[in-house]
Amino acid sequence: MAVTNDVLETAPAWEPRIVAFCCNWCAYAGADLAGLNRRQYPSSVRIIRVPCSGRVNPQFVLKAFQQGADAVLVAG
Amino acid sequence: MVAVAQHPNITLMTYCQVEKIEGFVGNFKVLIRQKAKYVDHQRCTGCGLCWESCPSHVPNEYDLGLSLRKSIYIRFPQAVPNKPVIDWEHCRHLNEGSCGICQEVCPTDAIDYHQEDEILEKEFGAIVLATGYDLYAGEAAPAEYLYGSHPNVLSGLQFERLLSATGPTGGEIICPSNGKEAQRIVFIQCTGSRDEAKGKSYCSRVCCMATAKQAHQVLEKNGGAEVYVFYIDIRAPGKAYEEFYRRSVQEGAVYLRGRVARIYPRGDSLLVYGEDTLLGRQVQVDADLVVLATAMVPAAGWEEMSLLTGVGTDKDGFFAEAHPKLRPVESFTSGLYLAGTCQGPKDIPDSVAQGSGAAAKVLALFSIDEMELDPITATVDEGTCSGCGSCLLVCSYGAITLEQIQEEERGTTAYSQVARVNEAVCQGCGSCTVSCRPGAMNLKGFTNEGMLAEVDALWL
Amino acid sequence: MRIGVFICHCGTNISAAVDTEKVAKAAANFPHVCYADHYLYMCSEPGQELIVNSIGENELDRVVVASCSPRLHELTFQKTLERAGLNPFMLEMANIREQCSWVHSRQREKATAKAIELVRMAVAKVSYNFPLQRPTVSINKNALVIGGGITGMQSALDIADAGYSVVLLERDNTIGGKMSMLDKTFPTLDCSS
Repeated sequence: MAVTNDVLETAPAWEPRIVAFCCNWCAYAGADLAGLNRRQYPSSVRIIRVPCSGRVNPQFVLKAFQQGADAVLVAG
Repeated sequence: MVAVAQHPNITLMTYCQVEKIEGFVGNFKVLIRQKAKYVDHQRCTGCGLCWESCPSHVPNEYDLGLSLRKSIYIRFPQAVPNKPVIDWEHCRHLNEGSCGICQEVCPTDAIDYHQEDEILEKEFGAIVLATGYDLYAGEAAPAEYLYGSHPNVLSGLQFERLLSATGPTGGEIICPSNGKEAQRIVFIQCTGSRDEAKGKSYCSRVCCMATAKQAHQVLEKNGGAEVYVFYIDIRAPGKAYEEFYRRSVQEGAVYLRGRVARIYPRGDSLLVYGEDTLLGRQVQVDADLVVLATAMVPAAGWEEMSLLTGVGTDKDGFFAEAHPKLRPVESFTSGLYLAGTCQGPKDIPDSVAQGSGAAAKVLALFSIDEMELDPITATVDEGTCSGCGSCLLVCSYGAITLEQIQEEERGTTAYSQVARVNEAVCQGCGSCTVSCRPGAMNLKGFTNEGMLAEVDALWL
Repeated sequence: MRIGVFICHCGTNISAAVDTEKVAKAAANFPHVCYADHYLYMCSEPGQELIVNSIGENELDRVVVASCSPRLHELTFQKTLERAGLNPFMLEMANIREQCSWVHSRQREKATAKAIELVRMAVAKVSYNFPLQRPTVSINKNALVIGGGITGMQSALDIADAGYSVVLLERDNTIGGKMSMLDKTFPTLDCSS
């Protein structure tokens, strides 16, 4: 997806809202590790714990977009 | 070995193979194939007349081809059980109907050419996988090392057979090509390992010490022998290991830090060209024997075992433990434990320790009569389930079955098919809930309703 | 439905970046929340006492703990609920340490707003929780050891010595494995039989 300079200039404070569905056994643990190492990332990221990436129903993803997510990440 | 055979609580099942493993922790059902031995071990006394009389000769796997055995054989004189089997691939009677000498000479009438493989079903509460290793075939060594093309180039395990009192030479270190005592022996470390481009990337952990031991044995047995060891670096971590290696050096083993570039055959002997990187010069050794320290790899059949047990492997085929530090003898499947070199290269002390570790896990499991399981499992609303079976296809654990149910409705009996979840097998991944079109499948603890409510509460 | 929300400071690990009092106040207004409080260390003995007592006093039937990762202390707080007579699965956790205060440590306002949202999501989810019972299975006390090398023999002997039946399965026609092929073994140089 190309983001032109125009867009960046007109909306300098814009932060994408990202919902990440993270598998409890790997990606969620990875997000915990990021915390442990004090890696900073935008606060607009929301992580939802799932027991497996296989648990992520497409309905959840659509619902997240409906709620205003700009991007959804399924990690596992 | 004898302690195992004589233990009243141990049933030895040799010459057997696992055909199928079903079930779950505390309740495994295992199909075992008892391969036909063609010898009735109840009658056999292990007297040895049969294998002494057998006329066919086959390369002996136990001596890695350095000797011959018969078609009816025991692996080695101290084998447990000490009774023979017939190798049907090489038996003249079983293949051509001729011969039959073993049956004629057997004083107890134990030979049974009509024996067939048997399938036995047994139930277990816990399983320990200890399937061990093989040596990375010497053939995988670089062609310039002449393994397989010159009889005096041996693998470390073959050399071990030469050293052994039960081996083909009775423990004499001689050159296979001419039977003369080997006086100058070159050991090459890390053959086909620690080199991703040419073989395995890992260190096998045992070869440095195995070579130090073999060097010591050569210097002890063959007076005036010369030993040269080409190495990358010496890995001797462990109690008394470094001291042992030092002892071999003091006894006269010459350690040369560097690789061997090429070996040229010159009659019975071998011209070894390598480098000594510490002195920065070329080295040339006129050797009688060359011994290659090849990598440890998972024992043949690891792919099948991985499929049978559902235990995953790393990139090299070693079984994956549940946690590299905290759960080294557990697999991801509850009730299935790992021990020894099937989990990764290790030496005898470490293998034994892990064997005991796995036993401790089994005993902890056996100390309880009933085990509580995680309740985060899938559940079916039988009223909504259409019995389509989509969930069955996505379940990696075989936890779902389709079953007939009977319903009474307005005086008539209706039959329908519904999915059923075995809670003990279900790992709670929830894949089935996503595949379920009617929405009959739900996951306890992470229900559709709960998850949707959670997503709904985002950014109000 | 009566939900209790408990916000942990984790010393200053959380409270340095998140205004825990503000989170507790916001949580008190979420649907079905009857009680919201914050405390220095929720996993400590007094912290757990606070939860147990609050459950009793306020007749709570569901609990949200906003603290560290559930991977760390979910079991701890499940046991706390059990002590208070609640089903342990009536708990949800909001991860406001590893996934909030530690990763937005220089943005107190934003981190606080996010913590409030994470608590709201946990409250929403816990509303749909229902009591779960742990299924039990009986344990057959016979063991199978696959592989009759040194490792398998050791395992089989240890299990058998404890009084349980073991089948030691070997594909070859003798046990002993690779070890039996070795002459003397390092470092003791004794025989391998």
